Amino acid sequence: MSTDVIVALLVWGVIAGLDLVSVLQAMVGRPLVAATVAGAIAGDPANGVMIGMALELFALEFLPVGGARYPDYGPAAVAAATAAVGLPPGQLGVPLVLGLVLAYVGDWSIVGLRRWNTWRVRRAAGGLDAGDLGTISRVQLGGILWDALRSLALTGAGLGLAWAVRTAPPLDARRGLLLTAVLIGIGLASAAQNALRLADPRRAGWWLALGLAGGTAWVVLR
Amino acid sequence: MGRPPLSAFVRTSLRLLTVQACWNYERMIGVGLGYASEPLLRALPGGRSGEPYGAAMRRATQYFNAHPYLTGLAAGALARAEHAGTPGEQVERLRGTLLGPLGAVGDRLVWAGTLPAASAVGLALSASAPAGIGVAALLTLYNVPHVALRVWGLRAGWRSGTGLAKALGTPLLRAALRIVGPLAAVCVGLALPPVADRLAGDLELAAWVGAAGAAAAAWIVGRWLAPTLGVVRLGLLGAVIVWLGTAW
Repeated sequence: MSTDVIVALLVWGVIAGLDLVSVLQAMVGRPLVAATVAGAIAGDPANGVMIGMALELFALEFLPVGGARYPDYGPAAVAAATAAVGLPPGQLGVPLVLGLVLAYVGDWSIVGLRRWNTWRVRRAAGGLDAGDLGTISRVQLGGILWDALRSLALTGAGLGLAWAVRTAPPLDARRGLLLTAVLIGIGLASAAQNALRLADPRRAGWWLALGLAGGTAWVVLR
Repeated sequence: MGRPPLSAFVRTSLRLLTVQACWNYERMIGVGLGYASEPLLRALPGGRSGEPYGAAMRRATQYFNAHPYLTGLAAGALARAEHAGTPGEQVERLRGTLLGPLGAVGDRLVWAGTLPAASAVGLALSASAPAGIGVAALLTLYNVPHVALRVWGLRAGWRSGTGLAKALGTPLLRAALRIVGPLAAVCVGLALPPVADRLAGDLELAAWVGAAGAAAAAWIVGRWLAPTLGVVRLGLLGAVIVWLGTAW
């Protein structure tokens, strides 16, 4: 992988990480988007889409509500898509595990960042309470810088692990296939279960069933 | 009452895009709201060196939390109250009363509605159409209402001032809140069969059985342990079980 590609992946990982909370929240950090683009950058758009779809199923669980904790799938999806370059479709299990591990680490990194921000705000309390624009700007824009550093570290670590995965001896085919299948199964079940939380509990099952019927018809008839 | 120039609204809109940049456990997005509101406060009598600006800025960064896309409503309404010369205690009370509704409405409308619906459509199209179509669909379906909500929020907040409750009770918003949850559940249901077909379609029968077994186990475990376990840990648990099972 060339230096240009690595730099592009790092930049994309930072953008995806910042998008989660700090800047814009336009959902470019969703795994479907982050992994598809990362796959295209790394030279395997087809596997990028596959990784993005699988991780998106998991990501349907989280609602980035206020102070809630949630996994950071953006940099994780970038690393997972990079690890998946050139693999056959049935052997995407290890990159998916890598993506889930990094998303989990990302969750903790966000908690750490919020604690750091709390410390920064306490230290600047005098200026903030006095309404000093310089202090307010410094604290607020500093938050973007620290989140960018967090995202860069997460993406960098992820790309390092992706390189390790790609250079390590491959998993034997049977185990790799089972790992892929199990993770897809868990993702599908979790997505369906989380859909039940989106509507009135008495009717959510019916809405989901209606969609499943339509989706099945789509697959059968196309 | 003075009105801030259009450029101030544009600046505030842009700053609102980073309203959560300094999210913290003490003031939550209070600093972000203060930073975003500041351009609207410059037109207060006396400008930046006047006492009204100073007093408004001293209040601006205190504790606040809301859905980020609807924070514009608060920025507009609070700035309007400051421009109308509303006493400081009343401005602070208004700030306090906005906390609950802006969070609840935004969470239901966006996080538990628009986002899963757009994500599901993106998934379905990624599974069935050329690469990139699904991503474009997700980003478009999500961001058109997202940007509209942000623009409407700041305008409605400024127009309403202390009468903000009316803006949150508009028929369009109430209808959207009723529809969006069921729509998201239907969209997720619609996406799952094509996604399963694409992800597992090339796998051999034994893998399909493994996927179905894992799905059934995840469903049962998820019913018992969600949301304490979370799907990431559930997925990693599944991976560990596969690893240990095949090693043994």
